[in-house]
Amino acid sequence: MKFDSKFWIIAKRDYLSVVKSKGFWIGTFLIPVIWLLVVTLPGFLMVYFWERTEMKVAVLDKTNSSIGKEIVKADSNVFYLDNSNERELNAKILNDELDAYLLIDSQSIKNNSVTVHTKGGGGIALIEKVENVVGKVFRKHLLAESGLDTSLIRQIETETKVNTKKVTREGIKTDYSSFYSFFSYFAGVALFMLIFIYGGLVMRGVVEEKANRIVEILLSSTKPFDIMLGKVIGLGSVGLTQIFAWIVLLLAISLISTQIISLLTQPEPIAQSFVNEFNINSQVPKQFEIPPIPAEFVLMFIIYFLLGYFLVASIYAGLGSTVDHEQDAQIIITPINIIFILPVFLINIISANPNSLLSTLLSLFPPFTPVLMIARLGSSTIPLWQPLLSILLMLLFIFIILKFSAKIYRVAILIYGKKPSFKEIYHWLRKA
Amino acid sequence: METVKLSNVTKSFKDVVAVDNVSFSMQSGKIFGILGPNGAGKTTTIRMIAGVFLPDSGEIRVFGEPDIEKVQSKIGYLPEERGLYKRMKVIDQLIFFAELKGLPNTTARANALKWLSLLDAKDWENKKVHELSKGMQQKIQFISVLLHDPDLLILDEPFSGFDPINVEVFKNVLLDLKSAGKTILLSTHIMEQAEQLCDDVCLINKGKVVLYGSLSDIKASREKDTVICEYNSDGANSIELRNVKILNQTQNRIEFRFDRNNFNLKEFIKEIADKVEIKKIEISTPGLREIFIDEVTKVKL
Repeated sequence: MKFDSKFWIIAKRDYLSVVKSKGFWIGTFLIPVIWLLVVTLPGFLMVYFWERTEMKVAVLDKTNSSIGKEIVKADSNVFYLDNSNERELNAKILNDELDAYLLIDSQSIKNNSVTVHTKGGGGIALIEKVENVVGKVFRKHLLAESGLDTSLIRQIETETKVNTKKVTREGIKTDYSSFYSFFSYFAGVALFMLIFIYGGLVMRGVVEEKANRIVEILLSSTKPFDIMLGKVIGLGSVGLTQIFAWIVLLLAISLISTQIISLLTQPEPIAQSFVNEFNINSQVPKQFEIPPIPAEFVLMFIIYFLLGYFLVASIYAGLGSTVDHEQDAQIIITPINIIFILPVFLINIISANPNSLLSTLLSLFPPFTPVLMIARLGSSTIPLWQPLLSILLMLLFIFIILKFSAKIYRVAILIYGKKPSFKEIYHWLRKA
Repeated sequence: METVKLSNVTKSFKDVVAVDNVSFSMQSGKIFGILGPNGAGKTTTIRMIAGVFLPDSGEIRVFGEPDIEKVQSKIGYLPEERGLYKRMKVIDQLIFFAELKGLPNTTARANALKWLSLLDAKDWENKKVHELSKGMQQKIQFISVLLHDPDLLILDEPFSGFDPINVEVFKNVLLDLKSAGKTILLSTHIMEQAEQLCDDVCLINKGKVVLYGSLSDIKASREKDTVICEYNSDGANSIELRNVKILNQTQNRIEFRFDRNNFNLKEFIKEIADKVEIKKIEISTPGLREIFIDEVTKVKL
């Protein structure tokens, strides 16, 4: 491949047309911020608002024990003792004077159940609240009745902490399993999005050149295959540029992050209430630390981006050439997208059990490979032959797809005015 | 020397035969016109010569080379439907097209600047294409064809979309290129343009060649059956004609064709001289448009 061959010229134009634009650089810096918000905000809001109810719940205790009082003590913002009878409480609810009441009788503890009366639809938060508070009180009560020591009870109440260590040739090391499984999910989804953003650019470019008739001038200067490959390589390089920009950004941030992280780990109201509510004090590490992301992982991320992108982009370029409007293109690629989006839904299953046979097989299926392999690599240590085999399989698959796409592209790029059927595309494949 | 030679070229799309067994050749250093109504197969023929796609059967040689891809850098092609990258700067766009034709970047830039200033478009250098008017875009497109100094220019409807002033500008550019020894292939459905520019023509209708040869030969082979008469008239003595085909009639000018079997030219001149003051009378062969219509209707019969 000479550097002055035609497809380099096309690749260069496509590369510069994106990289020179302000939008690209604004996007490069904004995407991580937006991405971080999208990933963390729902979880954060969930934690904050979960179990938070503004309702007032009356506790009607018919047991003559301290259970009612203990419930109120556990959360006096929500619960209060009420000694009226059920009829009066029902009336209060109907008159909107009361949101809900809780009925505890002699059977409640025995059956470990409790009834909440509302006007209907108290919301999940209320039920969660009641379940959590009442459950805790009941358990404590039962344990106390059995005559156990209070310190023992407290110990039972706390959750078991699992420390993970990994055995390496260099010795026993801390294994950040839970961090890495979250990280692998993050990386898999990010990879999927990158592949589709850049694959989409290729398709838009092909359709634009066709709709603007520029392709005719290109065809009078070079081969259809060069035009297609030039576009795929040019826009893929844009993707690489963006990934490198993010790596530089990440390194810069991690250099100045030590101070920021120490600030973040100071007790602050939200974090504190998070800790209180879940009683998970023991689980929050004293020193917050980001485990290292190995360089090999970054390298594999880039390799799988390139492979996945090449695969998607060659399919998109071929199919894009068959339509003259972007809207039509969206319709024709939908079946393809469904196949490629599947692995995103499989990430959770895979990273829960990264080394199972099913995980291995699924991650070796070329359309699934980039997302699933990166998820497995992120969450576990997998034998080297598997990524190597997956790369080989993908290269083979890309080669076949590229050949098909080039055939379709060559015929379809100059046909205007009608949407082709899949039958026609098949016919072109046979004919070419 | 033959710059382009088509032998029995056929191309079909689905069940429509767009180009049907077409053969012709183009002499170097001449302007060759492919003429015909819309949908005749002009664009398909041209695209095959430009190497945009291949014929189903038959052979096309350009500069004696059957593999057009090898000579694409010597061809400048202006497609009928013009296309430029909307968000790209004029100068970058011109350089890109020239580089695709094998020009090094610096030469491409120099040539682009030369042609931009030559055609009064220097100010557009750094504008983006979507900021230009349609006519300006046409001009840029035309320049993009010339940058690599091609020996063969293939121009599909080159003047469509230009105002009359720019049509003249580019006609002169073409004539200059011809005197510099370049071969030019152009297609048009406006016969008057072809008559002014072309040395040789090929008339195509429904994918088939109906007439082909040098323009002067074609005209010489026709009967002198066309009369153009200019005169002074006050309008009262209007001329009435029977048994002729009137092509064009205004108050002071008439153009018609006659059939020698039932029309007496001498009588007509005598008659008309009595009525009006004749300024000019010309008896000639019919124009290309008339010839073309003759040929097409003959095929129909």
